[in-house]
Amino acid sequence: MGVLDGLRAALGLKAEADARREADPEDLFGMSTAYMTMHADLGYESVGEAALCFSGVDASSFHDAVDEVEAILAAGQEETGTAFDVTADGHGYEWVVLADDDTEDLVTSMHFAADTFVEQGYGSRLLAAVFGYERPDRRADDGRPQRAYWIYSFRRGSFYPFAPAGGRDRNNSAEFKLESVLDGELDVEADKEYWYPLWPSEDGRHPWE
Amino acid sequence: MDWKPDWGLRARMGLTMFLLFALYIVFAAGIMLYTGGGMFVFLLIFGGFTVAQYYFSDTLTLKSMGAKTVSAEEYPDLHRTIERLSQQADLPKPKVAVVDERVPNAFATGRNQKNAAVAVTTGLLRTLDQDELEGVLAHELAHVKNRDMMVMTFASLLGTIAFMFVRWGAFFGGGRGRGGNRGGGGILVAILISLVVWIISYILMRALSRYREYAADRGAAAITGKPSALASALVSISSGVEKIPDKDLRDEAEMNAFFIIPLKSGVVGRLFSTHPPTEKRIEQLRTLEREMEGF
Repeated sequence: MGVLDGLRAALGLKAEADARREADPEDLFGMSTAYMTMHADLGYESVGEAALCFSGVDASSFHDAVDEVEAILAAGQEETGTAFDVTADGHGYEWVVLADDDTEDLVTSMHFAADTFVEQGYGSRLLAAVFGYERPDRRADDGRPQRAYWIYSFRRGSFYPFAPAGGRDRNNSAEFKLESVLDGELDVEADKEYWYPLWPSEDGRHPWE
Repeated sequence: MDWKPDWGLRARMGLTMFLLFALYIVFAAGIMLYTGGGMFVFLLIFGGFTVAQYYFSDTLTLKSMGAKTVSAEEYPDLHRTIERLSQQADLPKPKVAVVDERVPNAFATGRNQKNAAVAVTTGLLRTLDQDELEGVLAHELAHVKNRDMMVMTFASLLGTIAFMFVRWGAFFGGGRGRGGNRGGGGILVAILISLVVWIISYILMRALSRYREYAADRGAAAITGKPSALASALVSISSGVEKIPDKDLRDEAEMNAFFIIPLKSGVVGRLFSTHPPTEKRIEQLRTLEREMEGF
């Protein structure tokens, strides 16, 4: 370790750089095996939907990029049957919402979409990829199945769990369990200060709805 | 229930106990040498004090913590939970006490498995959900099961005596005066030795007590089968929950766009951040969780 490395370590800059890794759309494929673990070991099932959150740019080249993403997903829809929709939310972000009962196809389509943004030079506009799960055997207070999400943060290049528990509460116990079981299989964000929630607009809905 | 022995833990605890005991012998020999045996009486008094403290530990600790023993009528749910967990841990049901205190906390006391008490604060009952509460109660029951009160009392005996000696040694030395040639200097050295012994035993005690906490966490996981519930309780109690943000990613991403390194974990934060034992305990519980899932 050189002198500068030592200095950087002492100042905490190194830890910051180490903790943060470059986002890589390939990471998303980790979800295709993770969902089996989710099902077999934890009793979670895919809700059949996943969504990609990005912030738009008012430039024609960006609109072209979005068109390209839509074209690729439309082509994929014929092959895999993955339905898609592009929507906007109240926070000023846009979403590519994907629907497919086959989780493999869902993950593949998500990768296509994210990868296309990156190839068009708009990788920095990607915020998060969100995969929805629910436990049919566990019901929340309102009678709905308990939900949990795996969020891939493109800012951090890592996954983290998010289990909304009604209102602005999180089910920390469920999130902890997801983290401990899936860590290793997914690149889980170690620093919990970055486990930012994506609150749904109202209870029982998905963050992208 | 699977009460797996942790040999690494046991070895470290054995070593700590051995070191404490060796320290004890050196200390006693040093005292005898410099005071000519007069201090022996002094040691006996405080030894007796500690033994008494050990025998009355359950009532004494409850009193000093402001805990009130509660009946099954007053707290039916709490009683039922502790009863079930005791059964699971193969323990007689301990006394149940409650402290009227907002800060969430819990402790166990008692010299053996038959004379034990488990106390919780009202803040704990309010903060945790049922699973988390069971995790914490199982942790306390594991302390009882591991006879930690006995281990810790024995281990702290030396430290207590050394501390007393440092505090009151000068007073006792002053009354001795008859030694002539080595009285004053002898007492000074004895105090110095006591000080060193106190510091070392303090460090060893802390290590020992940390190991006992890990062991109790492991025991709690064995009793409830839910390491994650205890971990989430630890996070709630140690206010670690505040670390997990409740601010929406989309709002936060907007703000952080202005900074190269997000402020929250910037240079200063890293420089002063430590790893509190809670994080290590959670790390261990995660390992347990993974073991239980068969990884």
